[in-house]
Amino acid sequence: MTRAIPAWLQATPLALVLGVFLLIPILTVIVVSFWDYDQTRLIPGFVLDNYIDALTEGVTWKTYLSTVRFAVITWAITLTMGFTVAYFLAFHVTSTLWQMVFFQLCTIPFLTSNIIRMISWIPFLGRNGLINQALQGLGLTDHPLDFLLFSDFAVILAFVHLYTLFMVVPIFNTMMRIDRSLLEAARDAGAGFWSVVRHVVIPLSLPGVAIGSIFVITLVMGDFITVRLMSGGQSASVGVMMMNAMSLLQYPAAAAHAVVLLAVVLLMVAAILRVVDIRKEL
Amino acid sequence: MKDTTSLGRRRLLKSAAAATGVAAGSGAITGFPTIWAQNIKNVVLKQFGTGVSNQNAIGDKVKQDLGFTLQMTALDSDAVTQRAVTQPKSYDIADIEYWICKKVFPAGVLQPMDTKKLKYYDKIVPIFTTGKMTPTSTIAQGTAPHTVGYVEGKNSTKFSSKPTEWFTMVPTIYNADTLGIRPDLVGRPITQWKDLLDPKFKGKASILNISSIGIMDAAMVCESAGLIKYKDKGNMTRPEIDKTIAVFTEAKKAGQFRAFWKTFDESVNLMASGEVVIQSMWSPAIAAVRAKGIPCVYQPLKEGYRAWGGGLGLAKHLSGLELDAAYEYINWYMSGWVGAYLNRQGYYSAVLDTAKQYMKPEEWDFWMEGKPAAIDIMSPEGKLMEKKGTTRDGGSFATRMGSVACWNAVMDEVKYMVRKWNEFIAA
Amino acid sequence: MRNRGLAHTLLASFFALFVLFLYGPTITIAILSFQGPEGGLTFPMRGVSLRWFANLFETQAVGDFGGSFTRSIALACIVTGLTVAIALLAGLAFRRRFAGATALFYLTVASLIMPSILISLGIGLMFNIADLAPTWYTSALGAHLTWTLPFGVLIMLAVFNRFDRSLEEAARDLGATPWQVFRHVVLPLITPSLIGVALFGFTLSYDEFARSIMSAGSDNTLPLEIYGMTTNVTSPVLYALGTLTTVFSFMVILGGLGAVVLLRRGRIG
Repeated sequence: MTRAIPAWLQATPLALVLGVFLLIPILTVIVVSFWDYDQTRLIPGFVLDNYIDALTEGVTWKTYLSTVRFAVITWAITLTMGFTVAYFLAFHVTSTLWQMVFFQLCTIPFLTSNIIRMISWIPFLGRNGLINQALQGLGLTDHPLDFLLFSDFAVILAFVHLYTLFMVVPIFNTMMRIDRSLLEAARDAGAGFWSVVRHVVIPLSLPGVAIGSIFVITLVMGDFITVRLMSGGQSASVGVMMMNAMSLLQYPAAAAHAVVLLAVVLLMVAAILRVVDIRKEL
Repeated sequence: MKDTTSLGRRRLLKSAAAATGVAAGSGAITGFPTIWAQNIKNVVLKQFGTGVSNQNAIGDKVKQDLGFTLQMTALDSDAVTQRAVTQPKSYDIADIEYWICKKVFPAGVLQPMDTKKLKYYDKIVPIFTTGKMTPTSTIAQGTAPHTVGYVEGKNSTKFSSKPTEWFTMVPTIYNADTLGIRPDLVGRPITQWKDLLDPKFKGKASILNISSIGIMDAAMVCESAGLIKYKDKGNMTRPEIDKTIAVFTEAKKAGQFRAFWKTFDESVNLMASGEVVIQSMWSPAIAAVRAKGIPCVYQPLKEGYRAWGGGLGLAKHLSGLELDAAYEYINWYMSGWVGAYLNRQGYYSAVLDTAKQYMKPEEWDFWMEGKPAAIDIMSPEGKLMEKKGTTRDGGSFATRMGSVACWNAVMDEVKYMVRKWNEFIAA
Repeated sequence: MRNRGLAHTLLASFFALFVLFLYGPTITIAILSFQGPEGGLTFPMRGVSLRWFANLFETQAVGDFGGSFTRSIALACIVTGLTVAIALLAGLAFRRRFAGATALFYLTVASLIMPSILISLGIGLMFNIADLAPTWYTSALGAHLTWTLPFGVLIMLAVFNRFDRSLEEAARDLGATPWQVFRHVVLPLITPSLIGVALFGFTLSYDEFARSIMSAGSDNTLPLEIYGMTTNVTSPVLYALGTLTTVFSFMVILGGLGAVVLLRRGRIG
């Protein structure tokens, strides 16, 4: 082979997979969102009722608000933690071997099925769980702390647990590409630790931060199982709301919510991309 | 092609009859020594449903008794409904509940079942045919199984109000649900559904988080507390839904509930860990808690039970030998072994006479007659469930199924109900 | 420099705490997998035993670990292979201009955003309409790819946009063919990133639940099987599975590291 393969040919496999398994399903969802339905059937047609229902109800707004709140809090925490961890791995662990070891160490817990991990939060955070036993053993509290499980706290804790790595990896990747001599130069010029972080590391890691933020925000916005299990079914999220409709085969309603959700998340992503154009800056 | 299959079927039925004749005598079905038995071995029937009844022991026994393979897939309850409707190709036999059948059957993914081919049709408990336990009993509220048990004809998807020759599903399993309690932690006698909202149990109560069933638990409570009088709890009006949700939203905001549960296992874990001391529950879940040495009672309540029933439906695409095998499987299902197996877990089987033959008289007396156990009661796996001398919570079959207040249901206002339920969760 | 020492200690402790946090559930699972024969999925422990590890290899009341585990591993391997190949090709494509590049980029991002349950439902419906039976190796494979590919492609984009083109140009000036440039210059440089893509792909696919529900067909993958099992009495056997998975992953990774260390030593020596 002497000639380069055309770019469009290289992109074809990706386009094919996404075309068949993403574009068609999305189009199906959009079409179904305009269908009508009754107690037992879906009625093909073109009605706006699903959107009107979805957008005019107080509960929709409340649920979106609650989901966005989860997303923002999770994002802030995972960003802080993820940035710190990535910084440590990129600048304080000098050998690639150890970097690899540490990354592997972080992935291992995720090879145990999430469903099993979710079940294990009960004995970990519950009234008679490890944490409460430890706290009471240490004499820090005389009664079990209820808020640790089946609460918004628990939901966010689980999100942070699940998604911090999604922040660490892209930030770490961009940090590894920062020219070390820049840091040296800044230090030689008398910049302190914080100053170097603020004026050199953060600006140059922004693309990674953007990608990580897209990962975390979209994952949280679309979630249904974490919110249901960790809040004990007592907190709302858009995903839970859609699931409730889907479990009773009210697909048009669920589809309308999905289209709205898709639009909202796309807007959030567009906002992130507006601040940092990851395609240009990477 | 048609002729050969019908011939095969006739032969099949004959041999089946012969085999059961033997079985009745020996107490075990040993197989079908015909040409049919050669082909049937290659048949693989795919069944799906929740883990409640999709137990491996049943598949193993099918292989042993009938020679063909029953492949079972267990899913959670939400996935069951959706897979039934959206992926009819992925299964041959659907193991679903009657209230779900009300939504699934009209979608045209199942084929009606010829009751003439069901050997034990006449022995099915009348709850599933006429809706009445005894000729004098009243029909409970909700989606009573017999209302969605028949369709008008062979190619119909329209439910018939009267029994016809065409079953939507063959009933297999059912039970009467009530509140489970931790007697060591509630600290007072529990007698009514309204006790669930007693402020004494603040932060320690739970209900089912499946909207259409959870709201019925809620309705039982509201009615018991004298807050709302329903015309039909299984088919509420909008104002009734509003009021029910309002009562429960207030309780939720006051912190009455620790969590809502959705899968069997969650209910067990909540109770066993002491997170919850009172909640609506299923009978085998109570048994599972007790098996860990933790006291747990399936408390009969003044207002009666909320019942549910499940059955097996035939996928539309089944035909020929596979369809024959499916009917054979269903007839085998009703012939007693499975019935006894389910009865021993605290459920009820749809044909009681045959199940009785597979149970020890003492077991039958304990599970079905509500008598004190004359021997130690063992689980199907051979583990000790109840010591000699104990009595089943709620008593006999007749008492328990006789006090059903309502069946799990899909209401006409289901669209509105889901909306309100979402509000309840978001509150 | 002392400042840096302090920062190092603080960062290292933070990382240690983070790892501890990640392992919180794993530790709980490890302890409870030694639950006594009568014990359940929650505390208190009722004795200590190896009962549940033995039980893992027996027939369960509901569900089947062996089959679903094999399926999940097989699926994860296929997904990993395809993800690496497709993401690499797409990464190369995006370095140049081609018609529809922007649209494809946004489609990739949309793939990440689309709620998983709807992709799953959409694919399930699509197969039903097309009169095809959904299976784990067709429809579920597609569903998983829509999940792993965006991660893979975004990582590859990040890699290539920072790629030093002068190395390639040098090779080309020396008369290397495009294939030789790729094989001897590009590939060695991006291998670590490809391993990262592979790891991501494997972990995401192996544990994917929502996208599999409606697309897996008759046979469950492991996450579906476990969730299905929770619709009946489940036992600490789930925790035993978790503990074994963790131990197994540790061994695989230790083995891999050992190999790397040996290779390096060999190269130096």
